[in-house]
Amino acid sequence: MIKKIFLIIKNNILLTLLVGILVGLICSWVMYEGLHRTSNDRFCIVCHEMRPMVAAYHTDVHGGNGKTGIKVDCVTCHLPHDNIFAYIATKARNGVMEGAIHFFGNPDAIDWQANRANRQHFVRDEACYGCHTNYKTNEAISVKGREMHEHYVSLKGTDKEIGCASCHVEIGHNGLRSMLNYYNPEYKFYKGKLDKQKEAVEKKLTEDMK
Amino acid sequence: MCNKRTLFFLGFFFIFSGMSLLGADTNTSSPKINITPELKKEFPLKAHHDKLSLSCTDCHEGQGDDPKDFKLIGDKGCLSCHKTKQFLADRLKFMDTTHTNPHNSIHDGPKLYCDECHNEHKPSDNMCLQCHSNDVKSWMRPTP
Repeated sequence: MIKKIFLIIKNNILLTLLVGILVGLICSWVMYEGLHRTSNDRFCIVCHEMRPMVAAYHTDVHGGNGKTGIKVDCVTCHLPHDNIFAYIATKARNGVMEGAIHFFGNPDAIDWQANRANRQHFVRDEACYGCHTNYKTNEAISVKGREMHEHYVSLKGTDKEIGCASCHVEIGHNGLRSMLNYYNPEYKFYKGKLDKQKEAVEKKLTEDMK
Repeated sequence: MCNKRTLFFLGFFFIFSGMSLLGADTNTSSPKINITPELKKEFPLKAHHDKLSLSCTDCHEGQGDDPKDFKLIGDKGCLSCHKTKQFLADRLKFMDTTHTNPHNSIHDGPKLYCDECHNEHKPSDNMCLQCHSNDVKSWMRPTP
């Protein structure tokens, strides 16, 4: 049987090559479309518990609230870009994990406010300087800013390494702390007092997601 | 003759390049201060600044190299990283609803001096407590 297939391939090398290319192209296209369509806020919000995060993202330049309306997808900042296999593996693992927590776990018990302390692990620095290529030399950045960027570079690879988000605390999600508070106040005093704000945020978010 | 001339020019070249290096050294950034455990004990940093491994001269810029001589850096120093008072007020916007935003209070707006409440090398001292001693605890966490 295998011999027969080999014989067919041998006799029709050109055809085999063409079929191979076609199959390869179709696979790449399916992969591309699959990755592309599952990378933005509209898709991610289906399973991830992140309405306040998305609402805050929409008020940030990274979420399209800049002069030009340029918008980066969730995965641009939150998935590794140095290696395509690591990218796909992390995406798949996150998808399964978050889906499981959403459907079978207890997402309401997650303390997002406390999780913000781990922000530098959720943001990929290579993604930041993938766009902000001149962060070391850009003269539009203040002198202090450039000094601190130098400091950041000097700590790279040491046990004191910091991330972009270590200093840029609400980057990508402008007003995140307030948004999280509208949904689940961090101090008892605010319970029930921020419901109007939450309602307004929810209304806008539902409209944006249409 | 030719050899002598080459040597002469080479000499010149090395002397000048050496000088330019010296010059470059004196011009670059503030002096590095060796942070000993004793120094750290005397001038402790707030956890959020310590985590960033900041050195003395990152804040005390142009104030020499003796920590004992360092002066307060004032609002301008703080805001060189922390942007503006309005920016800081906006980050606590949810507190505006109940008029409890310490960075945008009903009395002072976003205009207080940073060190009215925040200290770096000693515990901070929340000014709101002077009048609202009972309520502040429920409005916000201890001042960082």
